[in-house]
Amino acid sequence: MKRTIFFPLLGLLLSLPVFSQQKISGVVTERNGTPIEGANVYLEGTYDGASTATDGSFIFQTEETGVKTLIVSYITFETLRFEAGVAEMTNLKLQLREDVNTLDAVMVSAGTFEAGDNSKVSVLNPLDVVTTASALGDFVGALQTLPGTTTVAEDGRLFVRGGSADETQIFIDGIRVFTPYTPTTNNIPTRGRYSPFLFDGITFSTGGYSAEYGEALSSVLLLNTIDEPDQEKTDISIMSVGAGLGNTQKWERSSLSVNASYINLAPYIALLPDRNDWQQPYQGFSGETVFRLETKQGLFKAYGAFDHSEFQLTQESIDVVEGVPFGLNNSNFYANTSWSQRLPNKWKLWLGGSYTYARNKVGIFTNQVANAEHSAHAKASVGKSLNNRWKFQMGIEQFLTEFSETFASEDVNLSYGFSNPVTASFVETDYRFSKRWAVNLGLRGTYYGRSDTWKLAPRVATAIKIGDKGQVSAAFGQFYQQPTQEVLKFSSELAPRQANHYILNYQYVKNNRILRAELFRKTYENLVTYPAEEPQPGLPYRNAGSGYAQGFDLFWRDETSVKNLDYWVSYSYLDSERRFENYPVAAQPSFANTHNLSVVGKYWIDSWKSQLGASYQFASGRPYTNPNQPGWLQERTKGFHGLSLNWAYLLSPQKILYVSVNNVLGIKNINGYEYASTPNAQGIFDRRALRPAADQFFFVGFFWTISDDGTDNQLDNL
Amino acid sequence: MKIPYLLIALFFSYTLWSQSPYQKGMTKAFELWEQDETLQASQLFERIAVAETDNWLPPFYAGQILILEAFTTDDKTVMVESLKKAEDFIQTAQLRSRNNPEIMVAEAQLLTAWIVYDSDQYGMKNSMKITEIYKKAMALAPENPRVVLGNAEWNIGSAKFFNKDVTPYCSEVQRAIDLFATFKAKGEFYPSGGKEHALQVLETNCGG
Repeated sequence: MKRTIFFPLLGLLLSLPVFSQQKISGVVTERNGTPIEGANVYLEGTYDGASTATDGSFIFQTEETGVKTLIVSYITFETLRFEAGVAEMTNLKLQLREDVNTLDAVMVSAGTFEAGDNSKVSVLNPLDVVTTASALGDFVGALQTLPGTTTVAEDGRLFVRGGSADETQIFIDGIRVFTPYTPTTNNIPTRGRYSPFLFDGITFSTGGYSAEYGEALSSVLLLNTIDEPDQEKTDISIMSVGAGLGNTQKWERSSLSVNASYINLAPYIALLPDRNDWQQPYQGFSGETVFRLETKQGLFKAYGAFDHSEFQLTQESIDVVEGVPFGLNNSNFYANTSWSQRLPNKWKLWLGGSYTYARNKVGIFTNQVANAEHSAHAKASVGKSLNNRWKFQMGIEQFLTEFSETFASEDVNLSYGFSNPVTASFVETDYRFSKRWAVNLGLRGTYYGRSDTWKLAPRVATAIKIGDKGQVSAAFGQFYQQPTQEVLKFSSELAPRQANHYILNYQYVKNNRILRAELFRKTYENLVTYPAEEPQPGLPYRNAGSGYAQGFDLFWRDETSVKNLDYWVSYSYLDSERRFENYPVAAQPSFANTHNLSVVGKYWIDSWKSQLGASYQFASGRPYTNPNQPGWLQERTKGFHGLSLNWAYLLSPQKILYVSVNNVLGIKNINGYEYASTPNAQGIFDRRALRPAADQFFFVGFFWTISDDGTDNQLDNL
Repeated sequence: MKIPYLLIALFFSYTLWSQSPYQKGMTKAFELWEQDETLQASQLFERIAVAETDNWLPPFYAGQILILEAFTTDDKTVMVESLKKAEDFIQTAQLRSRNNPEIMVAEAQLLTAWIVYDSDQYGMKNSMKITEIYKKAMALAPENPRVVLGNAEWNIGSAKFFNKDVTPYCSEVQRAIDLFATFKAKGEFYPSGGKEHALQVLETNCGG
């Protein structure tokens, strides 16, 4: 009696789970049949599951019934969801698709250098931009150590692959910057206006860039401001050339950064006079502010920058014995806002706009030139990820520039200007066939209001992975750009200039070592020609010029082989000729030279708490025209050499002493020659070597950060 | 006569069914973890995390295991993939429980692991974030031993880097050890460990 009751009851209890349990089993493999070990296989919403064994097999039991979803997840593969009746889930053969968005997946790298932490493969990290010895804290200076750029020491702007400086455009948060460089005069290099530490992502493309970016024939530089600053802090810097102050405040969903700096070269020049005769050495004030606000599914950013600079000097000239008096007074205001918003169904909306106001007053002898530029850029785009492999984006944008200038001398009073509306739209799509093969297609249509012309520019890029660490990419694109302001102000009906890029790139990345080799060819059409040395009113301006640039680039960076040493080497070979401006024949332009080499090294000495840096730059001779000989741009200057050293010493976690010397060896570089406009008594044109204003430059700075925690510093500010 | 058997049966069923599936799952996962079956343990936590959509503990532990895994592996690829996956779990945990000091400690560890992975790229950037996270966590839970310990350990690391004296932080490590003795976890399966590690930190940096 006892037993009869007890046993059935017990039996019922024990057998309950057994009765309702269902076995789920199968094998998980890659598409090619290779078994996957360690994948997580489970029924959604339950704890029932197992890991796959070495042969990819799995088996587990469940009490679930009916239709359920089986999930298979494993890193570097796309998660698989399989819906079926639980009873049918036996002997399953499940194949996982590799995740095409993993770190080792192919990415199109033709023409593009990523510098910053927004990318998978970064050739320069944010710190590099400012700790490169020759750069003097200018992000443009750091980029000049990358291949594809030409050393034009007296100018300071970016010259890319045989293109003039205006062929490179700079964008902040996707919005065009109309006046990115500080104003300067002959033979004094300019600097980027914007302080590097506001940006955490820098993409520098030397060709073949996406259809989103236009109005640039040779190159684009994309700067992204920091989304969210890490902490509240105050930065103080005291330098041999000025002082700076910065402050960041953070709130729950927003933050505000403000920076101001004042530069005055008077004490420096009094101590170490240079070749110019300064009446009023350079002085400049600049202020920048960034406001960021996180919204529910988006981010709003506003960036504003104001700067003012002025100087007055007498420049040497071969034609004027007493020198040319030159004065400049510039004010520049730039504001930029952007708003990105995630929408349902993986749509993304992006809106942005910028406004620039630049005012220049230039005095040369008694001539006065005053100009004012108002420029605006508005852009809207939407994008969608259709799935893990396929993305597309489309957008429209409007550029508008209103420019007016007056020229006043004793005899003439001229005033002229132009308005330059450009409307563009673009569409582009990225598709990944696999982890090893990706394609980007883009199309950009532009309407030029002044010349009433339509231009359609296709862009194609693809990348294929070869082996584990190497990849080959190729890119082709058409690019259009309005002529420069210097000619537009006298002839605004000119058609846009055109360039075609063909790029083949190989990249090998292994353990913090990067090797890049790139072959390129670029052709130019519709370049602007005119029959005078300088653009002036009343000339016949034509789109009659053309040209080409071809060559190869090499880049090697190694952060691993020697402990605490990080170095990179860039070499570019360039063959370029063009006929434009007043060139009577096609010739290698003065801003393009054949060989460019940069070697940059940084060594951290732990016991000294110091980073020592060195950079060496070599540029082969640049063309100039010798009027005493037949020909055009027929001679070459001697090569340019520069060795720069810097030393950053951490006095304490928050105090840094920084010293740098440019051109340590004091090499006497010659950037070109200025010939007299009329021959002397012997019938020979006299000349004067164009030397840098100073052969060497010294810099000493003390940087102090004040924050609550006491660890942050301005290393990335140097 | 039936009553005793019924009692036995009830008792039997109590032991079998008294634990909810959640408790069973979590217990099992911790067992696996203790047996060093880290993959199995992490995957079980992952399954529980998917099933229990508002509980922060399963994704927290799934992430925690991967972070520790990243610290111990020599394979950089495994390290990156573990950290990326851990990032997802820690984010999920944060969405389920905002301003949770325990998750903040895990996030700080995750950021530290990225520094170990590539100090050039992440050193400066992440150290600021880590400092900020500990600052916030200390404000929220000044008596949580893991927060106190994590903060002290981070400060010791920074001080060592700059050849500074670490003794000011030793008292904090000692305070963390005392706090471990009195700390009461807020609920079942809530984090409670870390004392052994604290003793180890004290021994290595503060001469026992």
